[in-house]
Amino acid sequence: MKIAVCIKQVVTREWQLRVNDSKTWIRDQDASFELNEPDAYALEEALRLKEKHSGEVVVCSAGPARASSVLREALARGADRAIHVEADALASADAFAVADALAAALRDEKFDLVLTGLQSDDQGFGQVGVVLAEKLGMPHATIIMEVKAEEGGLRVKRELEGGWFQWMTLPLPALLTIQSGINQLRYATLKGIMAAKKKEIRKVTPSAAASPAQKMLAIHFPEKGKKTQMLPGSPAEAAKALVQKLREDARVIQ
Amino acid sequence: MILVVAEQREGKLNRASWEAIAAAQHAGGPVKIAVLGSAVDAVASELAAAEAAEVIVVDAPALEQYTSDGHVMTLAALIAEEQPSQVFLPHTYQTRDFAPALAARLQRALITDVTALKAPRGAMVFVRPVFQGKMSAEVTAEGPSPHFVTCQIGAFRADAAKRGSAPASVRKAAIDVDASKIRQKPEAPFKEAKQAVDLSQAERIVAVGRGIKAQEHLEVAEQLAQALGAEIAASRPICDAGWLPMDRQIGSSGQTVAPKLYLALGISGAIQHLVGMKGARTIVAINKDPEAPIFEIADYGIEGDLFEVVPALIAELKK
Amino acid sequence: MNGPPADRETLEVDVLIVGGGPAGMSAALRLAQLQKEKGGEQLSIAVLEKSREPGAHMLSGAVLDPSALKDLIPDFKEKGAPLASEVHHDHIYFLTKNSKFPFPITPPPLRNHGNYIISVNRFVKWMAGLVEAEGIDLFSGFPASELLYDGARVVGVRTRDQGIDKHGAKKSTFEPGVDIRANVTILCDGVRGNLTKALVRRLALDEGRLPQIYALGIKELWEVPKDRIAAGTVIHTMGYPLRMEEFGGCFLYAMPDGLVSVGLVSGLDYRDPMFDPHIAFQHAKQHPLMESMLRGGQMVRYGAKALPEGGWHTIPRVYADGVLIAGDAGGFLNSMRLKGLHLAMRTGMLAAETAFDATRANDTSSAQLRKYEDRINNSDVRRELYSVRNVHQSFSYGLLPGLMYSGLSLVTGGWWVRDPMPVKAGYEHMAKLADYYGDNRPDVDVAVRPAKIDRKLTFDKLTNVHFSGTRHAEDQPSHLIVHDTDICRTRCREEYGNPCTRFCPANVYEMVDAGDGTKKLQINASNCVHCKTCDIMDPYQVIDWVPPEGGGGPQYEGM
Repeated sequence: MKIAVCIKQVVTREWQLRVNDSKTWIRDQDASFELNEPDAYALEEALRLKEKHSGEVVVCSAGPARASSVLREALARGADRAIHVEADALASADAFAVADALAAALRDEKFDLVLTGLQSDDQGFGQVGVVLAEKLGMPHATIIMEVKAEEGGLRVKRELEGGWFQWMTLPLPALLTIQSGINQLRYATLKGIMAAKKKEIRKVTPSAAASPAQKMLAIHFPEKGKKTQMLPGSPAEAAKALVQKLREDARVIQ
Repeated sequence: MILVVAEQREGKLNRASWEAIAAAQHAGGPVKIAVLGSAVDAVASELAAAEAAEVIVVDAPALEQYTSDGHVMTLAALIAEEQPSQVFLPHTYQTRDFAPALAARLQRALITDVTALKAPRGAMVFVRPVFQGKMSAEVTAEGPSPHFVTCQIGAFRADAAKRGSAPASVRKAAIDVDASKIRQKPEAPFKEAKQAVDLSQAERIVAVGRGIKAQEHLEVAEQLAQALGAEIAASRPICDAGWLPMDRQIGSSGQTVAPKLYLALGISGAIQHLVGMKGARTIVAINKDPEAPIFEIADYGIEGDLFEVVPALIAELKK
Repeated sequence: MNGPPADRETLEVDVLIVGGGPAGMSAALRLAQLQKEKGGEQLSIAVLEKSREPGAHMLSGAVLDPSALKDLIPDFKEKGAPLASEVHHDHIYFLTKNSKFPFPITPPPLRNHGNYIISVNRFVKWMAGLVEAEGIDLFSGFPASELLYDGARVVGVRTRDQGIDKHGAKKSTFEPGVDIRANVTILCDGVRGNLTKALVRRLALDEGRLPQIYALGIKELWEVPKDRIAAGTVIHTMGYPLRMEEFGGCFLYAMPDGLVSVGLVSGLDYRDPMFDPHIAFQHAKQHPLMESMLRGGQMVRYGAKALPEGGWHTIPRVYADGVLIAGDAGGFLNSMRLKGLHLAMRTGMLAAETAFDATRANDTSSAQLRKYEDRINNSDVRRELYSVRNVHQSFSYGLLPGLMYSGLSLVTGGWWVRDPMPVKAGYEHMAKLADYYGDNRPDVDVAVRPAKIDRKLTFDKLTNVHFSGTRHAEDQPSHLIVHDTDICRTRCREEYGNPCTRFCPANVYEMVDAGDGTKKLQINASNCVHCKTCDIMDPYQVIDWVPPEGGGGPQYEGM
C-alpha cells in the first residue's frame, strides 16, 4: 500500500502565545515548533499499516522552510521519504490554500491511501483532509478509530457523537482523518534519526497562490470581561440562589 | 436567504440544529431549513415550528444512512436550486465529515467552529477559536456566495431560536440522489463504551480539587454530579493521589473541556487547571478561600465550606 | 546494570559528547574544525542531548564574554550569532528594603564592556544549526542514564530506556536504551550532571579538592514597554532581599524590544532552613528598583537552574581513562564575574583538541588525556579562575567579609590568609530548626517571610512552573528518587522542616496530609525544571536526580 501522510508543524503547546504587530497572526519568530499532535497518530497508523501490508509511507507537509524539521522527525520514526511544499505564506494559510498545495504535490504520485490528523492545534479548521480528498477525487471518511485493509478497499470504524460508532467500507484510493489517541506513538530511535539523514526530502514550490477562502482580520486573547457574582448568605441561601441562577439566567440545568 | 442544514439520525433531530437556526436568524434575513434523510416527516414538522420561510425535505432511500457523498451531492444540487447567500450548519462530527467536501466542490468559503457573529447585518465577521481555544480569530469569508458557516455546539442558544406564529410550510424537494455514486458503504451505527472517558463531550462537569480533603468525601461530589446530570472530574492533585483515574483530570496535563456548566469544588484555580476549563460557558466556584484564583474566572462564586454548601445544593436541586 | 538484553542496540563513535549546551556544542564544532584542518580519516562524532530540541534546557542570565566565541567562530557575526545587545551600561547597587545605593565604581570583574546580553537558549539553538551543518549526529531527546565502563575506563554511555510506566513495567512502545561506545566521551552534562556526579564518585576525581558550592538562579523573562530601559543595560544588586548571611544578588539585563531578563542568584549554602529562594525572588521584584522596571509589563517565561560557584579549588580532576569533563559539569564558572558561558565554550574546545589528538594517537588513556589539564592550565581559564579562587568561599563567612575579600582579592590577585579556604559542602551549612530558631520554632508549612502574590508582578511557584513550559510524559517512574521517604516524615520534618518544599523552585516537593494526622512527601515530578537543586541541597543527601524520559523538561524559549 502506498500511503501519504499529511503533517503540519505548529508552535509547541508550551509556547506563550504572542500576537504580531498587525494583530493578524502570532509573533512566531521566537517560538519553538513541533509536529501537530493529531498528525502524529496519523503517521503512526500509516507506519502500522505498512508493517502489516508492506508498501511505502510518504510524509508531506505544506509550510515554510522550518517545517522540514517535522518531516525529518517523521522520517526518523520510519517514513520512507518526504515531500515539502515550501512557501512562507503557508504558515498561516487557510485550509483551501493548504489543501491546494498538498493536492498538487500528491496528485501525480497515485497514492492508495492518504491520512491526515483530525485538525491542527493552531488554526483548527478541521477541513484540510476532507478538502484534499475532494481535490484528489477520493472518497473519504473522518474521525477514524480503526483501519482494516480489505480486498479492494478499506473497512474503517468512524466515531459518531455520544458514544456511537459505525463501520463503513470505501474503495481505494481513499483519504482518512485519524482520531487522536487511537494508537500508541512509537519513540524516535538513534538508528532512525541516523537513517533519516539519508532519506529524501523533495522540495516543491506551490505553483500559484490560491485565492484565499477566508481572511484573518484579527487575532486576540478571549476577553476577560467576566464579572463574578458572589452569592452571599448561609449555605442554604447561597445554594438556593445558585440553583435559581443556573436555571433561569444561565439555563444550564432544568 | 440563509439555508440551515439540520441534522437528524434515525428520525431524531440533533438539538444542535436549533442552535444553527438561532445563529442564522441572528444573522438576519429569511431562513430556510433543509433536512436530508429517508422518512423524516416528523423531524420536518418539528423544524417547522421555527420562524422560517420554509422547511425543505430531501427524502430519498439513498439518504437513509448518512454518507458524505450522499450529503455532498444532494446539498450541491439543493444549493444550486435555492441560491442561498449563506449556509449555516451545526459544527457536529457529521458536518465536519461532509461540509469541507461540499464547500470544496462548490469552491466556496467555509468558516468552521464559529462562536459568534459580529456586525451581523454588514460584512459579516465570524469569531472562531484558534490555538485550541487559547485565542480567538475574527475572519471574513472571501469569494462569491454562498459561504458556509458551522456553528460551535453551545455557542448559540437553541432556546433563542425564534418560533413562528404558524408552522412553516414543508416542501419536498425533487432531487435525484444517485445511490450508485455514493462511495462510502456504511453499516449500522452501534453504541460502545469508549475505553477512555471523553470529558470534552460532557455538557456538565462537577470537578473536585484539594479542598475535598479525603477520598471518602468524593461521595458528596458524586451525589451532586448525579443531581445535576454531570460527569465527575478533578484537578491534578486528586488524580495524582489516585482518588480518581487519570482520565478524569482536567488541565494542561489532562483534558481540555468546554461544557455548558463547570462546577469547581475546592479547586483553587492553578493556571495549569484553568487552561483546561476556562472555555466552559458557565463556571461556578465553591471555595473557602476568597482569594482563590478560580473566583476570577467564575460566573458565580460561593465563598464557603463545600461540605456545607454542597449538601444544601443537592437538597435544593431535589426540591 | 550493564547486562544488555539481546535487543539492545550498540552504536560506535570516535568521540561522544554528552550534553548539547555551550560546552558540548563548542567541543563538537572544534572537532569538526580540527578534522578539516588536519585531514585524515573522518572521525565519527555524536552529541547526546536530553531536551526535546537543542537549547530547550538552556538557562542563564546571560551576559556572554565573547572571547571563546571569537576564537571558535571568528565570523560569528556573519553567521548570524543571536547576540541580543552589546552591553552599554553597567550598574551595581546595594539594596535595602526600600532604597538603593549605587557602588561608586563598577569593580573591574563586573565591567561588561565588549560583552553581549544574549538568550542562551537561542545562542545554543544557533550553535546546534552549525553543528548539524558539519554533519555531526546531534541526538536531541536522548538522555544518557549511565556510563559504560571497561574496568575503570569509560567506554561510552547508555541512553535511557523509553516506554516504562510509572510502576516500572514496560509499555507496548518500550524502546530499550542504546549503548553508545566511544573512544573518548566528553561529559558536558552541565551543573551537577548525573553522569559526571557518578564518575567523580566512582573514580574519586574530587580527591584533594574542595567540595563544590552551588547557587540557585531563578529567572523570569519579561516584556516591558519598549522605551523603558535602554537595550544593553546591565544591573546587578547585592543586599536585599538576601540577608547578610546569604550569598547572592539580583540581575536585570535589558534586551531590544522591551525584553528584560530578571533574576535572583542565591547561594545554596544558606543557614536558615526556612529560606525560600523563590519567595526571596518575589521580594526582589517588589523592590522599587525592580518594580519600576517591570511595572505594567508581562512575565513571559520562567526558569531555574543551579550554577557551580565554588571556583578553581572545587574543580575535580577533569580527565580519566576515556573521558573528559567540560563546562558547568566540571565547575568552570567565574562567580566573581558571574560568567560561565565563555569558560564552558573554552573548556569544550580544549577538551575537543585533547580528544582529537588522543584519537589520532590511538591512545585515550588517562595519561594522554591529562593534556587537557595542561591545556586548561596554560589557558585563560586558569588565569581567570585562579585569581578569584576564594571568592565564594569567603562569602560563606557572610556578606561583609565576602565583599571585603572580593575587593581585596582584586588587589592581592586572589591570595588569602588561608589558601585554599576550608569549606564544607553547601548543604552542611544548613542549620537545624532548633539551632537556628531556638525556642521560636516556626510553623514549617507556612513561609516565615511570605511575599504578597498578585500574579502580575509576583507569582506562586505553580504559576511560574507553567511559564517554564515544562512537560514530562505522565506515565513514567518519578525521575526524582528519594531513597528514604521515611526521613521526610520523621527526622527531616522535625530537624529541618522539609526544606525541599522551599528550595525547589518548581513545586516538585510537597508535604501532604497522610490521612492519619501526619504529613507525607508527595513528589510532583512532572513540575521539575531540571535545576538540580534538590540533588544538591537536600541535608540528608537522599535525593537523586536522574534523567526522565527523553524530551521531558522545560522549554526555555528566549531564556
